[in-house]
Amino acid sequence: MTQPLALPEDDHDGLFADSEEMELSFGPQHPATHGVLRLKLKINGERIVESYPVIGYLHRGTEKLFELHPFFQNIPHTDRMDYVAAATNNQAYVGAVEKLLGLVVPPRARCIRIILAELQRISSHLLWLATHAIDIGAMTPFFYTFREREILLDLFEDYCGARLTLNCMRPGGLPYDLPVGWTGRCAALMADLPGKLDEYEELLTNNRIWKKRTVGIGVLPPEVAIDYGVTGPMLRGSGVRWDLRKALPYDGYDEVEFEVPIGRNGDTYDRYIVRMIEMRQSVRIINQCLEKLPEGPIMAKRPRVMKAGKDAEIYHGIEGPKGEIGFYIVGDGTPNPYRCHVRPPSFINLQSLPELCKGALIADLVALIGTTDIVLGEVDR
Amino acid sequence: MTSLIESVRTTVGDTLFYGAVSPLVKILVLLFLMILPLIAYLTLAERRILGFMQARLGPNRVGPWGLLQPIADVAKLLVKGDSIPLRAVKWAFVLAPCLVVGPAILVFAVIPLGPRAEAGGLSWFVTDINTGLLFVVATASIGVYGLILGGWSSNNKFSLMGGLRSAAQMISYEVPQGLALVGPVLLAGTLSMVGIVEAQKADRFWYVFPQIVGFFLYLVAGVAETNRNPFDLPEAESELVAGFHTEYSGMRFALFFLGEYANMIVISAVATTLFLGGWLRPFPNVEALAFLDPVPGVIWFALKVFVFLFLYIWFRGTFPRYRFDQLMDLGWKWMIPVALGNLALTALVKLLVA
Amino acid sequence: MDLWKSVRKVADKLLLPDLFAGLALTFKHMFREKVTVQYPEQRLEPSHRFRGMFRLDEDRCIKCTICARDCPIDIIYIDWHQEVNPETGKKDKVLDRFDIDLQRCMFCGLCEEGCPTEPKSIWLTTKTYELASYDRWKNLYVDMDELQQWQVRPAYTDEEIA
Repeated sequence: MTQPLALPEDDHDGLFADSEEMELSFGPQHPATHGVLRLKLKINGERIVESYPVIGYLHRGTEKLFELHPFFQNIPHTDRMDYVAAATNNQAYVGAVEKLLGLVVPPRARCIRIILAELQRISSHLLWLATHAIDIGAMTPFFYTFREREILLDLFEDYCGARLTLNCMRPGGLPYDLPVGWTGRCAALMADLPGKLDEYEELLTNNRIWKKRTVGIGVLPPEVAIDYGVTGPMLRGSGVRWDLRKALPYDGYDEVEFEVPIGRNGDTYDRYIVRMIEMRQSVRIINQCLEKLPEGPIMAKRPRVMKAGKDAEIYHGIEGPKGEIGFYIVGDGTPNPYRCHVRPPSFINLQSLPELCKGALIADLVALIGTTDIVLGEVDR
Repeated sequence: MTSLIESVRTTVGDTLFYGAVSPLVKILVLLFLMILPLIAYLTLAERRILGFMQARLGPNRVGPWGLLQPIADVAKLLVKGDSIPLRAVKWAFVLAPCLVVGPAILVFAVIPLGPRAEAGGLSWFVTDINTGLLFVVATASIGVYGLILGGWSSNNKFSLMGGLRSAAQMISYEVPQGLALVGPVLLAGTLSMVGIVEAQKADRFWYVFPQIVGFFLYLVAGVAETNRNPFDLPEAESELVAGFHTEYSGMRFALFFLGEYANMIVISAVATTLFLGGWLRPFPNVEALAFLDPVPGVIWFALKVFVFLFLYIWFRGTFPRYRFDQLMDLGWKWMIPVALGNLALTALVKLLVA
Repeated sequence: MDLWKSVRKVADKLLLPDLFAGLALTFKHMFREKVTVQYPEQRLEPSHRFRGMFRLDEDRCIKCTICARDCPIDIIYIDWHQEVNPETGKKDKVLDRFDIDLQRCMFCGLCEEGCPTEPKSIWLTTKTYELASYDRWKNLYVDMDELQQWQVRPAYTDEEIA
């Protein structure tokens, strides 16, 4: 016979004290945890009694890194926080720096920024849909969404030379102007995309299995969502109409027309629908911007060495694909920020996960991790 | 061919020929020329077809159109390290894959690929026992022990949950599956697999027409029995990593795989035999289609099985996965009552007609 | 029209239209064009702005070391000394060392952006992306000569891929 089975001796948390329940370490190496999230679960059969997210496996000290570099050198580091939505990270960071330094962005740069940010929102949501669907067991949407995302990333590559870690904005404007023919390709994709979205929806939206797996799962009441500080599609899925693009318009979002979708029940299905509508609204925004794209410079007049004033501090948040991504920057008169704190939407949305999966099944847990749409690079920074 | 069989028969004598030589040859041919290659190429077909459904190509590098891919896979799995976890229960860990594969392949003994022997020939099945269907159902349900043992003996919590899920799922779905199979049996009046096909010939229609409800029940229950999408809960990779075979590697893992695919073929073959007239050509009663008669029965049989296998792959490419309790709901609250109703109706009609 | 509604509800329960719609979609896709790129035989052409492997032009370089200072992770190492050019009699800066530690490079392109010469002395738009290597110090730490010598870093040969 093999060695006898024994309870582990390092039972610091007393999780094995009650023999009815079992502790399950869900991650950090697990196919459904979107990276390196670890969930300590207490389960009774398949039902989750308690869950405790353990984070920090991807901690790189980004906030400390910001303090060591001049403002413009930090932009590549922001790419690597939410690495599936680099453009919006850039936008939030350069927005904060611009506010700090009092730079005024030219209209053409603002318009291109909106296009890039909305493209990034679509690409981030496509990736979310792919992983969410594959977590719930539908394999095919993954490949369809990646097919479209590939074209989208080609647009980014044409614009700034990178596909994921874009480094595509600078304090005061943009590093490059749009290449020749870019707007045409972008418009062609935007004409194509709603049909493709219909295809994904045909596979999922009305599918009874998909509905069974998502309707009524992980209900997040609006009050609770607000208490947790949840933002983005998670909050809007709960029926709170809060979108920074509408509430505190930045970079000229007040000049474009779009709707902010909200959910009714605050369950996983509503959040799915909200994100699907958001993609269509993003297409609408991009089409408007492509139409009215103004001519002119793409970079504001800015000093060669950008220095923040002494004791200057600023918080600037924007509506990223996952929620409010904000930067709090303190200057001390040098070219480097004295302190730079990030408000990462993934980290704060993740706080609601234990609340969501109380009493859910293991199978629901993967749907719930998918619906919170976290990127661990941003959670851990 | 016929003369060769005849000469062998006269040399060894009738008893020895029909008792040992002929079954042995058939088993070897069935196993090594039909089932194992079919399973190997089913994996390739699945990957290719799924690829086509998902706007990509699938494996096409090894050999022309990727046709040597299964051989490369097998070679890889054979030479891979075969690890047994330190705290695993070794005998059960080793036994489990065998318990999955063995019964699945055993079932093929009673599945008729073609008609009985004509004069001087061999029949297209290894054996025809008068309780053939019972044998199929009984043997197929041994497979669940393999999954439970594999899940339990791995000493891994994910494996254990996978094993428990498979136990509950397979036992639940055996009930509607069995009830769905009783319909054709009632119509045919025999449990012999060959007898059921012959009864369909005598009745001049496939049993899928009177038993359409039973057919769909069997189809769904069969997908659940083989742990395939949308009922692939025991190995749900996004939930349980790989479920009951998380800790398996190398050839032991390949055996689980083999068992799963063999089970798919078994379910398809049984469905073909009971509902789609086995080796019979389409519409066996329509004289206008008589020109189809020269096509050997085994070809028709294979075609029908392939349709089922394609369905399996198609489902996998389309549907999300059910949740555990929803799966149980579907099984107990929908399928079993419907199957019972179908059975009662069939019996009533049979009684009135007879 | 309650009756009609309930009929439709029952039909929905029995006929599974949603499931068949999905099945039809995946079936249609079997015959659509595939998007796979057969990599070693087919290669995608990167865009003109694609940030890939570096090139350096020593003649254009004015040894200002702005690229090294602009690098967010400090992986560009530059040493230079002054030398009297025998032809012109002027003092010239001569590069002793211009190394890039590609292992840590994140291809942000800030070095190129900071370069004050026109055209740039260091640039990444070489459309070279096949940088994988078996030896981290041989191919992923490039010095001045390597940065200048190659015209286009050769694409992988079939033997290297196999």
